[in-house]
Formats: sequence, C-alpha cells, structure tokens
Amino acid sequence: MGLGLDLATFVGQLVSFLILLGLLTFVGYKPIRKMLDQRSEKIRESMEQAEATRQEYENAKVAVQEQIKKGREEGQAIIAQATQTGNRLKEEAREEARKEAQVIVERARVELQHERDQIVDDLRREFVDTAILAAGKVISETLDKKKHRELIEEVLQESATLRGK
Amino acid sequence: MAKKAGCGLSLNLLVIIILAGLALVVISFVGGTVGAMIFGGEPMSIFAVHAPAPELPAEHPFAGIPITNTMITAWVSILALTGLFFAGTRKMKVVPGGLQSVVEFIFEVASNFIEDAAGKEKARWFFPVVVTIFLFVVTNAWFSLVPGMESIHLDGAPLFRNANTDINVPLALALVSFIAVEYWGFKAKGGAYIKTFLNFGALGNALVKLFTGKIKAGLSGLFSGFVAAFVGILEILSHLIRILSFTFRLFGNMTAGAILTMIMIFIVPWVIPSIFYGLEAFFGFVQAMIFGGLTLGFACAAVMPEE
Repeated sequence: MGLGLDLATFVGQLVSFLILLGLLTFVGYKPIRKMLDQRSEKIRESMEQAEATRQEYENAKVAVQEQIKKGREEGQAIIAQATQTGNRLKEEAREEARKEAQVIVERARVELQHERDQIVDDLRREFVDTAILAAGKVISETLDKKKHRELIEEVLQESATLRGK
Repeated sequence: MAKKAGCGLSLNLLVIIILAGLALVVISFVGGTVGAMIFGGEPMSIFAVHAPAPELPAEHPFAGIPITNTMITAWVSILALTGLFFAGTRKMKVVPGGLQSVVEFIFEVASNFIEDAAGKEKARWFFPVVVTIFLFVVTNAWFSLVPGMESIHLDGAPLFRNANTDINVPLALALVSFIAVEYWGFKAKGGAYIKTFLNFGALGNALVKLFTGKIKAGLSGLFSGFVAAFVGILEILSHLIRILSFTFRLFGNMTAGAILTMIMIFIVPWVIPSIFYGLEAFFGFVQAMIFGGLTLGFACAAVMPEE
C-alpha cells in the first residue's frame, strides 16, 4: 500500500493552497490591516485632539486667571484713584467754600461799614441841620446860614472821631 | 439534601450520569462487533460498525474523474475560510461588530504572535503565508470532525476526508513553507544568504596563505575553513530535511488520529469516541500551530542578521 503520492493531486493541492493564500490576502488580511491601521490612526488622532483640547483649556484657564488678576488690580487702581480724586475734590470744594465765605464775610463787613458810614453821615447831617436850626432859633438869624454850616463842618472835621476807619 | 459535587450537579446526579456513561460503554462494547467476537453471537445492529479499512492514498468519490475526496475537502475549507473573511470584511466599520470582530480577533492574535517572534517589519512579510498555513490546516482538521462528514459515501469512497491525511497536502504546504523561507532569506540578506549554504571563503583564504608560504597560519585556517564549509553542507541538508519532517509530522499525526478514532468507534461505538473527538480537535489545532510556528521560526532564523 503506497502513501498516495501523486503528482496531479500534489499540484492540485498546491494550486488550491496558493489560491487560498491569494484570496485570504486580498479578502482578509489587507482590508483588516487597513482597518486596524485606520483605527489606530483614528485613536491616535483623537488622543492628540484630546491632548490639544486639554492644553487649550489649560492655557485659557491661565489666561482667564491672568485677566481676572489684571482686572482686579485695575479695579483697585481705579478705586484708589477715585478715592484720591474725591479727596482732592472735597478738599478743593472745602477750600473754595471757605474762600467764598470769606469773600461774603468781607463783603458783608464792607457793606456794613459803608452802611454805618452812611448812617453816621446822615446822623451828622441831621445833627448839623438840627444844630443850625437850633442855633438859628437861638441867635435868630444873626449868622449867615452858609457860613455857619461851614464853621460847624470844620469843627466836625477836626474832631472826626465818630467816623470809623 | 445532596451537596454540590462538581459541574453544578448534586452528587447523586453526578453518580447517575457517570454510571449511565459506563453502562453505555459496556453495552456498546459487548454489543459491538468486537464484543460479539469475544462473547460469541451476532453484533447488535446499532453497534455493528464496519471494520476500519484505512486507505492512505486519497479516494476518488467520482468514478472516472481525477478529483480526490481530500481535494473536495480542501476546497470546502478554502470556501469556508474565504467566506468567513469575505463576510467579515465586506462592510468594515471603525467600530467592529459581528463577524468583523471575529476575523479581527483572529488577525490580531496571529499578528501579535508573529510580531513577538519576528518584529514589526518582518512580520508583514511572514504574516500571509504563516497564517494561511495555520488556518488551512486547522480548518481541514476540524472540518473532518463535523459528525457525519466522513460517513457520506459516493461510489464506495467517502466524499470528504481530512485533507491533512492526504500526503500531497502536507507536502504542498511543506514546499510552500520551504520556498517562502528561502525567498525571505534572500530578500533579507541578498546574495550573502547563499553563504549560509556554500561557505568556502575561509577555506579559500587558508589555501591562499598555505601556498604563499605562511604555513602555520594556513594550516590553522584550513581546519576552521573545512568546518565552515561542512556546516554549510549540513545547513543545505537540514533545510531540505525540513520538507520531509514538515510533511510527515502533519501527515502522520492526522492520519494516526483519523485511524485511532475509527478504531475506537469500531471497538466501543459509544461515549469513548467522544473523548477522542475532543483530543483530535485539540491535536488538529496543535498541528496547525506547529506547522505555522515552525515556518515562522525558520523564517526568523533565515532573516536574522549574522554578527
């Protein structure tokens, strides 16, 4: 009983196997390898993307924090400046008010003085007139009215103590 | 209440199952052909298995047509494998499902195995041949274990027979493996690969020294030169012998397994053959691993750079 070696069968089986090799390579191995490569590429891409997103987020976080810090500093500066300006304005207003008050007081004083002078003058004139009248009555028109007035004026001028300086 | 004894069964049930199995073994043995010979009388018809008459050459199920049953089985294997991979890769998605995950699983396990041995670059060379050999051998082996497959007879010959038991199939695979290994050797090393087999350089150098008067250096070089040349010849032999060892390892294991199963069915038709079916399934896988693995190993050795 032989082993069954047979050239035709051998060649047939060899060709069959080679056909299987070709079929599996083109139907199986190549598309699967392509798909696996594609998948690992996709996974790599997603990972990179995730990493980039994370990085971006990290950067944004830092930037936002920076901005917040800057904003806070700016706000503080503005507040400080505002306080300063306010103080200055207050001071200025106070100063101005003080000056104005002084001016008003001064003016009032001057006016008062003026009014007093006026009153004194009026009084004096009235006094003079009354004196003249009285004197006239007393000496009954012995003296020239005009001359008399001048005389009294002179006396008053010399002793002008009623008029305030 | 009975305790759980194993396999989730109560002790009583387990004992009953074992006893029933033993009873079937004994009954089928006594009632079978061998039992009838020993105890006299006629074998019971359901146990009357024909005495195994294994044929080493492949049979021709179609009278007058030179197609053997092993060829038909090989074609069925080819169709099954191609169909599996075709169906699995027809509508590939990045997120796999169904058959695609099956073929991708096969691919990835094989790919990792080969990459571990050969490295990423060479793995791409070896992959198709090594994996196809493995898949072809294991599919042939398992297809023949499908119950009833080898019972279909046409023209007095079984229609299907494990293609690995036809010596032409292992021989064809061995030849493919051999040619592929030598091709990869030349591809990796170029013309220098021939030095693995025909290594007369050192011997020539020694002879030149000898004839130019450097007797001492020449003589010592002569010996190592002879050794190198002899190793080359051994290498030629070993590569050629691989074809034979590949062929007869697969052929012998598969044929012996088939005959052993036939004999067991003949002697004890029930229960015991199931055990041998399981063993055969395992051996088919192991033989496929060995064929593919050895091809891979020889390929790695052939492309390994010499220091």
